[in-house]
Amino acid sequence: MPTNAAAAAPSAVGGGASGSILLRMEGITKAFPGVVANDKISLDLREGEILALVGENGAGKSTLMKILYGLYRPDSGEILIRDRKTRIAGPRDAITQGIGMVHQHFMLIPPFTVLENIMLGSESSRLGVLSYAKPKAAAARLIELNNLHIDLNTSVERLPVGLQQQVEILKILYRGAEILIFDEPTAVLTPQESDELFKTFRQMRAQGKGIIFISHKLDEVLDIADRITVIRRGRVIRTLDRAEATKPLIAELMVGKPVILNVDNPRRSAGETVLEVDKLGFVNAEGVETLRDVSFRVRAGEIYGIAGVEGNGQSELIRAIAYRTRISGGSVRLLGSDLSGLDVRSRRELGLAHIPEDRHKFGLLLSFSLADNFILGSHYKKPFVSGLKTQVRKQIAENAKRLIAQFDVRTPSEQTPAHALSGGNQQKVIIAREMSQKPRLLLANQPTRGVDVGATEFIYKQLVEAKKNGAAVLLVSADLDEVMSLSDRIGVMFKGSIIKEFERESATKEEVGFYMMGEKAR
Amino acid sequence: MKRFNKYAIYEVMAPLVGFAASMALLMLIVVIVGENPGNAVDAIWKMTFATSTRTATVLSTSVPLFLAGLAVAFAFRANIFNIGVEGQYFIGGLVGAMAGIYVPLPAFLHIPFVVIAAMIGGALWAAIPAALKVSRGIHEVITTIMFNNIALALVNYLVNGPMSGLGATGSLEPQTRHILPTALFGNIDWMFRAVGWNVPDSVYLDYSLPVAVLVGLLVWFILFRLRIGFDVRAVGTSTDVSLYAGIKVAKVQLGAFLFSGALAGLVGLQEIFAVRGYYTFQIASGLGFDGIAIALIGRNSPVGVAFAALLFAFLRQAGYGLQFFTKVPNSVISVITGLMILIIVVSNELVSRYIKALRKKEAM
Repeated sequence: MPTNAAAAAPSAVGGGASGSILLRMEGITKAFPGVVANDKISLDLREGEILALVGENGAGKSTLMKILYGLYRPDSGEILIRDRKTRIAGPRDAITQGIGMVHQHFMLIPPFTVLENIMLGSESSRLGVLSYAKPKAAAARLIELNNLHIDLNTSVERLPVGLQQQVEILKILYRGAEILIFDEPTAVLTPQESDELFKTFRQMRAQGKGIIFISHKLDEVLDIADRITVIRRGRVIRTLDRAEATKPLIAELMVGKPVILNVDNPRRSAGETVLEVDKLGFVNAEGVETLRDVSFRVRAGEIYGIAGVEGNGQSELIRAIAYRTRISGGSVRLLGSDLSGLDVRSRRELGLAHIPEDRHKFGLLLSFSLADNFILGSHYKKPFVSGLKTQVRKQIAENAKRLIAQFDVRTPSEQTPAHALSGGNQQKVIIAREMSQKPRLLLANQPTRGVDVGATEFIYKQLVEAKKNGAAVLLVSADLDEVMSLSDRIGVMFKGSIIKEFERESATKEEVGFYMMGEKAR
Repeated sequence: MKRFNKYAIYEVMAPLVGFAASMALLMLIVVIVGENPGNAVDAIWKMTFATSTRTATVLSTSVPLFLAGLAVAFAFRANIFNIGVEGQYFIGGLVGAMAGIYVPLPAFLHIPFVVIAAMIGGALWAAIPAALKVSRGIHEVITTIMFNNIALALVNYLVNGPMSGLGATGSLEPQTRHILPTALFGNIDWMFRAVGWNVPDSVYLDYSLPVAVLVGLLVWFILFRLRIGFDVRAVGTSTDVSLYAGIKVAKVQLGAFLFSGALAGLVGLQEIFAVRGYYTFQIASGLGFDGIAIALIGRNSPVGVAFAALLFAFLRQAGYGLQFFTKVPNSVISVITGLMILIIVVSNELVSRYIKALRKKEAM
């Protein structure tokens, strides 16, 4: 049966709009204990084509790409490269067969130079002495061909994220990749950097390479892709040609029902100042000044959004407000109280709530039940403890049932451990917990990272709800659209400072983007 | 509710399968050595459960193992790797013995007094590594290993020097003076008779058994019923999440470390107060390290640790049985114990992954 399919393949195609078929995945199925991650997935990729892979988190995109890159072995189904049936035993094998992958987390050695990183794993040497000249010439040629802008002699740690990504691309091109896989490549990029990346995509397409890229951002998918494959619950729902694809259609195919991505977010007259950050500075343990003279206020009933490329001090700022007791200068005040001497519990008692950046690392005790996660942070208070400091299980269970119903958390029971839930539902647990404390100040750091469209909409509504209830909301997000559509005011962070503030009405995406790049700084 | 039972059954199955597999391996080795498996089983049986005396021996052997496992497990719960149980029970035993030698008290007060003294001694020996960990971030594995050596040197000096009982006891072995009779852990046959079990006189179980049971219950209650236990488990699961939730991580870890040391202090009580009646640096060593394996197999739960301790005690006696009655060397038991730890830990892990996946499927 499989051999028939392989034999039939060449005649079936051939006369496509673009070049000939580069890659064909047929009926790929992969089950993990209890979950079918890929269920008879088939897709193909032509020469000179950009194929976008979209779908909610957990839909099975990453599993499919890991199979293609040889990190997982499929239970059934087959992979054909240029119509030849093949098996991919591992990443090394994938590379020799012309498949390269740019991961979300870069696989680079920071102190090495760009050239050394590119040579890594395929070093050429004579009598054990590394030869640099040949690789250098080859790499320089690839840089020119593909609209890349990197100096081969710089060490990678000095490069901004966008350029590090270019190094990754160069690395796989250097190894002769014909099929390039990108796992959410723009998640860490500014709009301008994304544009550069897409230029590179187009260059590579013109050279006849096939590109598969995974993305959650529908705008860019529509901008760059030739075809769009939508995956839901491990199955290919549909593959759209660019001409027939629209944003609402893709969103609908992804979640299975139409979603409204616009949230009713009325401008409110802001009240008293809740958070007051004044000339805040911070020097970290390595002596690097990560925050410099940061000053802003967030008032009751408004959402203040921080825009900026990741790593420009946003995380440091959140830490200073959330828990850090040592700062290098200035002050942070919550409702008039200086936070520098206060521990986390006292801050929470003042009305601080926090949706942390990484829910697995900071937000949830994954092996604990939902009921236990819901009380985290107020577990030491009545009604969850008795006078004798024993836990009151009945109250803990009732609290959980109430929040599960109120925030529509999909779970078999309140005793289910948190790790069993999907990303979106886990985030709902955190939001339910933090909102149930009736916060005066809500810190929301990348609140929708890695959650699907349906849950994103829910989270947006909750942030707006918090604001309507009179909380001050400080939103940090790498997603500029998110910041633009939710915030009443926007502060742009660059190199540890807020270099520009916008009112919502006067902000345009392009201008905010320029400030994010530091183009207009000082 | 039904599903809960299903998961629980899987969790119980894993160590049982591990045990069965390692027993099968043992029999294979027995055959290779050229011994009759029937003889081997008979030898093990004779030394473990054939008579109530043997059963009582298994039970009493398990007591210090249980306490050591509990001490390691409690620290593990707070994400602390207390390798220093070894040194903590040497010092805990020493302080307990001092309380038994130098402080005259009536019997009903003296036994609780030495128990508490031993716990304080263990906690004190854990205090410096604990303080170094929470204040300066120095890893406890390094400090507690060094403190084990320091403890040994210290008790060696004290027993040979200031606390030496030479002359007073008439023994030529280095040891302290005799512990006052009021502090000695006597026979507890009367307890069994009180509940209607007429144990033969040859059975010898002492007060360290009820102490261990009470301490086990106490630890369970702290971990799963008290707010402070919630803090400990939260910190053990993730210090980052705990920090963000306003739990005072350093304080919780300090407390858990000290309490682990206090539990460790109890490990030597049986040998010092029931078996020897004096203190010496020659009390059984290595229990702290057995404790690590026991905590691992018992998954850091007091009930699990109790079963794991019984299992270790059983294996130890089984080894003696093989030694006495067959030509299988006792050291085979060490090999089998090691293999068993490996098999049980792996099957525990496989089962918990499987349950995780099942739960995920159920939640989707």
